[in-house]
Amino acid sequence: MDERIVAELIDAFPKLIRPAFMMTIPLTALSFSIGLILALITALVQIAKIPVLRQLARFYIWIIRCTPMIVQLFVVYFGLPNVGIRLSSFPSAVLVFSVSVGAYCSETIRAAIESVPAGQLDAAYCTGFTFPQAMFRIIIPQACSMAFPPLSNSLIGLVKDTSLAYSVALVEVLATAQRIAARTYDYFWLYLEAAFVYLIICSVLTIIQRRAEKFLERRR
Amino acid sequence: MLELQHVRKAFGDVQVLRDISLSVNRGDVVTLLGASGSGKTTLLRCAGFLNRADAGTVVLDGESYDLQSASRNDVLRYRRQIGFVFQNFNLFGNKTALQNVTAGLIIPRKMDRSQAEKIGLQALEKVGMLDRKDYYPSKLSGGQQQRVAIARAIALNPKVIFFDEPTSALDPQLTGEVLNVMKQLADEGTTMIVVTHEMAFARQVATKVVLMQDGVVIEESDPKTFFENPADPRTAAFIRHAQWSAEEESQEARI
Ligand SMILES: Nc1ncnc2c1ncn2[C@@H]1O[C@H](COP(=O)(O)OP(=O)(O)OP(=O)(O)O)[C@@H](O)[C@H]1O
Ligand SMILES: [Mg+2]
Repeated sequence: MDERIVAELIDAFPKLIRPAFMMTIPLTALSFSIGLILALITALVQIAKIPVLRQLARFYIWIIRCTPMIVQLFVVYFGLPNVGIRLSSFPSAVLVFSVSVGAYCSETIRAAIESVPAGQLDAAYCTGFTFPQAMFRIIIPQACSMAFPPLSNSLIGLVKDTSLAYSVALVEVLATAQRIAARTYDYFWLYLEAAFVYLIICSVLTIIQRRAEKFLERRR
Repeated sequence: MLELQHVRKAFGDVQVLRDISLSVNRGDVVTLLGASGSGKTTLLRCAGFLNRADAGTVVLDGESYDLQSASRNDVLRYRRQIGFVFQNFNLFGNKTALQNVTAGLIIPRKMDRSQAEKIGLQALEKVGMLDRKDYYPSKLSGGQQQRVAIARAIALNPKVIFFDEPTSALDPQLTGEVLNVMKQLADEGTTMIVVTHEMAFARQVATKVVLMQDGVVIEESDPKTFFENPADPRTAAFIRHAQWSAEEESQEARI
């Protein structure tokens, strides 16, 4: 690794950090938030056994979990224009990622809710709670601490998956590294540097996760 | 004051409750006895709308509710007048002892926190759990959890409290502390329906003893008559069997 490459990598670093902050992190945060709401709705629809919606939820989870995310991205970005729906890169990515988080995390959330002893729901009813009150005040808070580790996993997974949006012309960390490398031909070093940027983001998330788990542990 | 009328319930093709009627006056302590599987839990759960019965009515203070088809709002209104204590406590795991007791006042009844806490602390004091008010359920013994569960029920000032085998999940040493609390409630005139295997409790505390078998009530009388002069020969057999098992148990405990 000669001096030229060192200088190039130092020069490239802020250029990679910039899309991390401008693109990867907002894309992750937005998609994950929408995805969690979808996941909660999908889980509750199944737990409350609401007819029709429940089958719809199963169908949605089935489709999303059993098709590759990159194919979904292609269908949305390159395919939908054929039927008159034109989405640019960012909305396409948000759509695919949040729908994916919704499908995977709904199973996590459902399992977590079902792991809270059913007797607590009975007790809540006999204390005068309505179903929504019991869910949101008693069951879901406990399910959250149960679901927290697997949901953190999904979040970290999503950070890395956002690199797939490169394929639908989204200029994020990987695409930026690709562009710089295309000029200098130092693919090896620049892709390593891109990996390093993801490593930093995910490490920070891992540290936050550990702290939060300790905090949740204390409140039990 | 509380009356269950013609309750029927089947699970699949097992007819658990055939035609149960039961009436409870204010201040009554009704103990519900019966062999395992005779449908005692099912009856209480139907009376709390935790399971829907196939037929039957519950009348509370003159207002009647259909156990099969009462609307959600009616069920809510009815449930806010009763209390329920479960075999395995069912305390809210995300709340401390005090929060467990105040939750029913604050969340469904919208009482302000300071007033709810005043009531909650009184209830905890009554069951001797004031010193553990900030403990989470996972840090309490079974007997302590059950006493908090009783405090949670009485804090809501219900017209009647259903107890489903409140001491069955407890070690013998912890049973006493819970039974003492229940005895104290009985002395204060709390109306209770208690499913139990504790014959001594039925004999000493109950105002009425009811025996269920094969989905019907076969004996319903005051404790003296029940234990000394039962009308149905099956009652005498049940009592003999219960005494025999109790002796077995105490012998096992000695060994
Ligand atoms: N949810 C259920 N589904 C199917 N069968 C059930 C269900 N709950 C209870 N049963 C059946 O109903 C019958 C009565 O059960 P129940 O729990 O009411 O008896 P119990 O008198 O409370 O007995 P125990 O003294 O053991 O608590 C049993 O045969 C039981 O197997
Ligand atoms: Mg039972």
